Amino acid sequence: MYTVSTSSEAVADTSASERHLDIETLFRAHYGRVARIIARVVGDRARSEDLAVEVFLKLWRNHKAQSQNVEGWLYRVAVRAGLDELRRQTRRGHYERMLAWVQPRIPAATPEDIHSISQKQTKVRSVLSVLEPRQAQFLLLRSHDFTYHEVASILSMNPASIGTLVSRAEESFRKEYIKRYGHE
Amino acid sequence: MDTNSASRSDGWVNERLATLDPGTEWEPDVTAGLLRLRELRIRGRWTSGRWLLAATSALCVCFCLIALPSPKVLAHRCLECSVAVWRSLLPSAPAQAGLKPPSGRTLAPDFSLRDASGKDVKLPDLKGKVVLVNFWATWCEGCQVEIPWFVEFQKEYASRGFVVVGISMDDDGWKSVKPWIKEKKVNYPIVIGNEGLGKQYGLEGMPLTALLDREGRLADVHHGIVEKTATQQKIRDLLQESFNSTN
Repeated sequence: MYTVSTSSEAVADTSASERHLDIETLFRAHYGRVARIIARVVGDRARSEDLAVEVFLKLWRNHKAQSQNVEGWLYRVAVRAGLDELRRQTRRGHYERMLAWVQPRIPAATPEDIHSISQKQTKVRSVLSVLEPRQAQFLLLRSHDFTYHEVASILSMNPASIGTLVSRAEESFRKEYIKRYGHE
Repeated sequence: MDTNSASRSDGWVNERLATLDPGTEWEPDVTAGLLRLRELRIRGRWTSGRWLLAATSALCVCFCLIALPSPKVLAHRCLECSVAVWRSLLPSAPAQAGLKPPSGRTLAPDFSLRDASGKDVKLPDLKGKVVLVNFWATWCEGCQVEIPWFVEFQKEYASRGFVVVGISMDDDGWKSVKPWIKEKKVNYPIVIGNEGLGKQYGLEGMPLTALLDREGRLADVHHGIVEKTATQQKIRDLLQESFNSTN
């Protein structure tokens, strides 16, 4: 289980005088989990790995983020990067459907592809893409086994209010899902 | 998962969110990711260095244009060219109208004002000369463009009976005008105007240029920046016109 601020001592040399951050040690410690969080949202493993690297690149560029709760910052930015990519994909899909009228049809997917595309995953992702970003963040972090305390730390919020906010996010998810797909 | 979360979690939602799990068999490739990160960091350093270089170069160019005299002249000429091109491209920009015919001209509003040295500049004293009256101000950017042209005209046509009179409309008067005319080496009389005189000439915005024939009559009034060649032609016409009438 990830600890929000205590492990920073292990992965980062945060001596008061230098505040130097060992980005590669941090990368080795968190890259896998960051990529997996993004993969949950995006669904494409290769793309998730690219986005995860970009998250660490952002951290390297952002000196302010390096000064406190580095892991919290990492996971927050990772979820946001995943959601942004999901929205981009949704938009792209929308335009591709519109262009399908004028463009030649794309060859049908192979049985293997069809097998790999989970209908359920697509539905869940489409619902997440239309939820408020904050609510989608709650749900994704919770589904990745972060505790309420950790979610609060990652999103820089009061832990006491996280339970209520997560419940609201779940309720919004449920409503949107049922509105789109019924009680499946 | 903590007890608090377990008690409140929504099984229905969690069941659906769990379908997003990328699978335990997949392990992101840390080594490849780290290599990519190193590559992007090197590229990022180079890119930021390039921006720094571009910004420094731009600053140097700006400094040279502002501080050094010859690039300043070049910049001024570029500005003049830009104004000319812009005017020629604008389809709605009317060509500068010609001079009024002598029969349609009225006497120019009279004035008697002091120049920087305290000497009176009276319009009636300039009768017999072609006069270019220019309303301007030190803060007016358009005026800065055309004043060097008037300096040229004064130099070229003064011997043929031409004079420019600059009427400054600066609120703080000589305080800002004196240093300015000294710096710009203005070779014609400058006086400080007033609102009443401006109104008489129809001044609404700076600059305004009026051309007076040798009889002291208004032959042309132009609002805004003049066209250099057209104004020069008008001056020549007025000088010629007066020459014809006197012969």
